[in-house]
Amino acid sequence: MSATPLLELRGIDKSFGPVQVLRDVAFAAYPGEVTALVGDNGAGKSTLVKCISGIYPTDAGQFVFDGRPVNIHSPRDAAALGIEVVYQDLALCDNLDIVQNMFLGREKRSGIVLDEPTMEQMAAETLAGLSVRTVKSLRQHVSSLSGGQRQTVAIAKAVLWNSRLVILDEPTAALGVAQTAQVLELVRRLADNGLAVVLISHNMNDVFAVSDRIAALYLGQMVAQVKTTDITHAQVVELITAGRSGGLGLTGESATNGNGAAPADSTTGGVS
Amino acid sequence: MRVGPSQDEIRRQNLGALLRFVHVHGATTRAELTTALGLNRSTIGALTADLAAAGLVTEGAPRETGRAGRPSLVVRPESDRVFAYAYSIEVDRLRAARVGLGGAVLDRRELDRPRGLTAAEAAPLLAGAVKEMRQALPEDAVCVGAGVAVCGMVRRDDGLVRLGPTTGWVDEPIGAALGTELGVDVPVTVGNVADVAVFAEHARGAAAGCDNVIYLYGDVGVGAGIIAGGRRLTGHGGYSGEVGHMVVARDGARCECGNRGCWETEIGEHGLLRAAGRSDARGREAMLAVFDAADRGDAQAQIAVRQAGDWLGFGVANLVNIFNPEMVIFGGTMRDLYLAAAAQVRSRLNSNGLPACLEHVRLRTPKLGADAPLVGAAELAFDRLLADPLDVS
Repeated sequence: MSATPLLELRGIDKSFGPVQVLRDVAFAAYPGEVTALVGDNGAGKSTLVKCISGIYPTDAGQFVFDGRPVNIHSPRDAAALGIEVVYQDLALCDNLDIVQNMFLGREKRSGIVLDEPTMEQMAAETLAGLSVRTVKSLRQHVSSLSGGQRQTVAIAKAVLWNSRLVILDEPTAALGVAQTAQVLELVRRLADNGLAVVLISHNMNDVFAVSDRIAALYLGQMVAQVKTTDITHAQVVELITAGRSGGLGLTGESATNGNGAAPADSTTGGVS
Repeated sequence: MRVGPSQDEIRRQNLGALLRFVHVHGATTRAELTTALGLNRSTIGALTADLAAAGLVTEGAPRETGRAGRPSLVVRPESDRVFAYAYSIEVDRLRAARVGLGGAVLDRRELDRPRGLTAAEAAPLLAGAVKEMRQALPEDAVCVGAGVAVCGMVRRDDGLVRLGPTTGWVDEPIGAALGTELGVDVPVTVGNVADVAVFAEHARGAAAGCDNVIYLYGDVGVGAGIIAGGRRLTGHGGYSGEVGHMVVARDGARCECGNRGCWETEIGEHGLLRAAGRSDARGREAMLAVFDAADRGDAQAQIAVRQAGDWLGFGVANLVNIFNPEMVIFGGTMRDLYLAAAAQVRSRLNSNGLPACLEHVRLRTPKLGADAPLVGAAELAFDRLLADPLDVS
């Protein structure tokens, strides 16, 4: 629960040709906290994440990482800062085992051969640090793992590299109830271990179960970023679908950025 | 008139503090112990030697540090040798385990518990499980005590289970029954399941370092283990924390305790299954089936889960307003309910909680998972050892 954000974005603009996808977006992710990024389809969540991870260049705006202004031009820049992204498709290779997957493309070497013992130990320590008990052997192929276990491996892979900010894109989509619960606990544990976590989700349960802050995008604008203790389910749904809720979100016609730091008006208190 | 603690008392206190530190934190170097306990190096050396002679800790060379200077010796708890038996008596199952110093579960057995089984009937079953575990015991192993976690109200003085509405027990001396059955000449300490679970999570789980914690444990009923100001809240007789019997609805459903409208009639097993239209089903599996059905789109199950989540939020808001905890942990079936209906729980909590009390409250699930009652029961037994290490061992 730190007062200074690890990553802060200010005034981000991004267009694809004539289509402006992000408009003056401000966003912050804090160490030790889970920040949920919510928004309807096409609101700009994925584009924002791709700007953070260096896949898309931005048209305008500032990145501040750990209090210093930085430029992120490529995924390599992002990785150097300790920013890792776990995409929905997980990007794991079915025909490789867990250790090989975790070190894929960044293998440890000793001399000219691969340093298997070190890699295996690092993988084991990372999984143990996350209190992962569901994986039996580190040498089983990823093809033999369940959906929840795959997600676990993908997340462990992201935190292996002394990462400081981990972005998770819909980690519980397509998982059953029990596995969703395990992945949510893992997400929470990442933040409790001191990482800044950004969780993209459409599922309000997941968002409320683990997040400390909720950032809502509406048609390319950041309409509110509020603490999870100051907002209700109904208000978040309003922000996602209408861009405003009571005193939160867009105000009037000309609003460009409702950088909603004001506490939520909790009088609505509706529960669907 | 006493002037101050004697040399002997100070030494006993320091031995306990050192052993507790390695028990909770695992292998620690002498240098770290010196800083953590605020004792000088030679004292740490002497204390460690005493504990090692008693067979409670070992000292060994550390792993390569890569730094200059003579490496400090590492003190490890004798986790494989020194252990306590831990039992957990739950609504649908009985569990017995051997927990080593340091909190690792070394061996475990699990049995189904038919509903309505009395303490006198449960004790031989648990004793049988212990006999099995004893056969695999290393030769030099030392048992320092036994602890029991039970779903029911436990008298602090003697561990008598006064009332367990969910187990159907009234005035059952489970501690004594287990003691005679096991034939172990070590005392058996009994505690309420939520109380021992919060003890475990506070020592080595999600709530480590938090001094104001509420652990909500749910099965058929709901109970809370509460730590306030770093101490367990026990109440006068040891019965505090029966939050499941907060009356939340004046003309609500009939509770097993005899009242109407208790909180657990809305968020416990019966309430959820009733709302989902599955009144004839029972047990944790049936509850999980409702969450699963809700996830797959069963409308009635979804309504039941949302309602229960809303009610959970009501009660948690009350508790947060009264106790101002920094963490609320959802254990047992409350974990599943919280994760399945977090949007409702949080929305209701945020609406009904007082802003100042809500400010720093964190909602978490148990780090120790379903092992918390066992680890906590063992903590009860270790407590005696840690108070006076050389006497007990």
